Amino acid sequence: MSGTAEARTEDVPNLDRQNGATLGRILGRGRVGRAEDGPDGKMTATIRILEDELVYDPGVLVLPHAGEVELTLINDDKNTHCAVLPSNGNPQFIWLVNHSKGTATLHLDGPGYYWYGSRTGNDEGRGLTGAIVVEGDAPPEAKLDRPPQPQP
Amino acid sequence: MATETEYVDAGHAVDAVSLTKTPRKAPPAAKGVTYERILNARSEPHNWLTYYGAYDGQRYSPLDQINRGNVKKLAPAWVFQCGSTGLHAGKSTYSFEASPLVVDGVMYVSGWDGWVWAIDARNGSELWQYKHAIPYDVSLCCGNVNRGVAVAEGLVFVVTLNAHIIALDAETGKKVWDQTYGDVRAGESATVAPLVVKDMVVVGSSGGEFGSRGHLDAFKRETGERVWRTYMVPKPGEPGSETWPSDGEAWQRGGANCWVTSTYDPDLNLLYVGTGNPAPDFDGGVREGDNLYTDSGVAVDADSGEIKAHFQYTPHDLWDYDSTMEHILFDLDGQKLAAHFDKNGFLYILDRTNMNPVRVVPFVDRIDWGEVDATTGKVTPLKYPDKEGDPVHFWPGPAGAKEWTHACYSPKQELLYVPVQDVGATATRRRREFKESIPYWGAGVAVDLEDMAGSISAFDPKTGQERWRWRNDIPMCSSVLATGGDIVFGGEPTGEFNALDAESGELLWQFQCGSGHHSSPCSYSVDGRQFIAAPTGWGAWTEGFLPGMLGAGQGSALFAFALPEE
Repeated sequence: MSGTAEARTEDVPNLDRQNGATLGRILGRGRVGRAEDGPDGKMTATIRILEDELVYDPGVLVLPHAGEVELTLINDDKNTHCAVLPSNGNPQFIWLVNHSKGTATLHLDGPGYYWYGSRTGNDEGRGLTGAIVVEGDAPPEAKLDRPPQPQP
Repeated sequence: MATETEYVDAGHAVDAVSLTKTPRKAPPAAKGVTYERILNARSEPHNWLTYYGAYDGQRYSPLDQINRGNVKKLAPAWVFQCGSTGLHAGKSTYSFEASPLVVDGVMYVSGWDGWVWAIDARNGSELWQYKHAIPYDVSLCCGNVNRGVAVAEGLVFVVTLNAHIIALDAETGKKVWDQTYGDVRAGESATVAPLVVKDMVVVGSSGGEFGSRGHLDAFKRETGERVWRTYMVPKPGEPGSETWPSDGEAWQRGGANCWVTSTYDPDLNLLYVGTGNPAPDFDGGVREGDNLYTDSGVAVDADSGEIKAHFQYTPHDLWDYDSTMEHILFDLDGQKLAAHFDKNGFLYILDRTNMNPVRVVPFVDRIDWGEVDATTGKVTPLKYPDKEGDPVHFWPGPAGAKEWTHACYSPKQELLYVPVQDVGATATRRRREFKESIPYWGAGVAVDLEDMAGSISAFDPKTGQERWRWRNDIPMCSSVLATGGDIVFGGEPTGEFNALDAESGELLWQFQCGSGHHSSPCSYSVDGRQFIAAPTGWGAWTEGFLPGMLGAGQGSALFAFALPEE
């Protein structure tokens, strides 16, 4: 088996499309995108739901650091979906009818990654589950007082 | 693809709580909770103001409306449920592990995955909710759990799995301040219930299974500004460093995490801190020596964080015998004592002014890992993983004869009550190199699936003698609660919530909650009606403490029981 996700999909193409070897689309598939970092530290990104693919695009959104991100969410599908998104304080919910566009403001402290999804029907199982990855590190005052350690 | 003008306006995402009937507002009950009130918590028995009910860790409620004579009439008054939505960390392990707090009719309780709720303690209605977004990939040895909150001066304090300590407005649940106090990339996390002491809030770290260096931290209650941090593994040259290899790196990843709430003696101004296992858990060859202050009871000055005294229960631990669990403070015959039921199977009565042992007795039937001197507490190891690849079976297993869940003490009966787990395990040493955030156990471990037992047992701290035992055919894994009604409450892994006679151990009442118990019940009253609150839900690191119940259903319900209203 090849070493990258893309290569693995090519090896078994039926795993990466609707009604392939899996009925829906494998969890977490899709492109990797990166949020734009604004001059005020706030980040922005756009996520689309592609027509008849049951996938958020990008499937993995990378935030360069912890903080506030403003998402634009666009449903280009011909069916209704939604998104339940992680945010400190309370999950953010947006209903996305066919061909709709909305926004969401998220506060994430990371580092680490978070799942989100469309909780209607079994959208989550059929592919509408995306990830947000927050890069960065713990602040210096939170780190352990010890020399640098071996990394995996 | 549609053009911009054709899109329907979906608006802006909303807080999920806005799609409920939750009022998002609680009465200002916590505003008047001062340090002085917490000091005298037992003088207001209608409340449960701090993690153990009071600083002494006794988990004793003087309330006696529910008593031996009428407990048979006890019935659920309300049930609070939350469940879970979407993918979250440790999905298969989430459960309640908290002790609810109650202030003048308002309950504050934390759940799994960053949840905190304020609840009307009279009827179970949600007043507000807070949800911290938890990274899916945070390192968790023992499940997606949280052990509770602290309240004071209008704030609710809670830690998050990604090692933040946050303060919430007790009326709205909105965040007031937030401090990171652990490094998730180094395998640290946080599950402990904070403790308010004076103008500070004290918390400890988790991560001993990942080779972190355990610490206890104090922050200013109002602002979150750090006051002190105390590491429980000394650096070279510091007191205790002689118990670690002088030429090695073992101290840097030595464990000794403080993941259970301390008790506190305000007269001595000492916090009694239980510390966790050394790392790697089972491979002592890479950390020769006693490995202070792992597996210890540590007396820490509350103002400075300075270590004043300690007693190490299991020097050079090779069995994963954390000593994080509570030190119950009580006075008998003029002596200031602390009682500690250790994972290693022994009950220690200590002089809490200097942490010297007074007496040591076994509290579980099967102990073969080693012998412990009844007076000095000196350990003689007998069975332990030693040779690479050689399986070794020992009792108690790494979950301990008592897990983190808490014992209690009734000053009325002058008895200690303890949930007991009699189950062994097999460990096979497998040395591995250390890498940050990767589990660092040094062995493969399998806990027994058969030949196990459990009990709630009563011990006389004056003599160390067992006074009675209520037997179960599987281990008992939930905290117990003693009340002025001469009752000891405790839940079973199979879902039953039990009331036992505090004098005899007789089972007086039982209710099937539908899922197992692995948390801490409490008692309170509202308008003169006494309630027993019991968070339920089977989960966490079941594979470690009771794998024979790994297939049992999860749950997430908080029950409040009361006598029928007249």
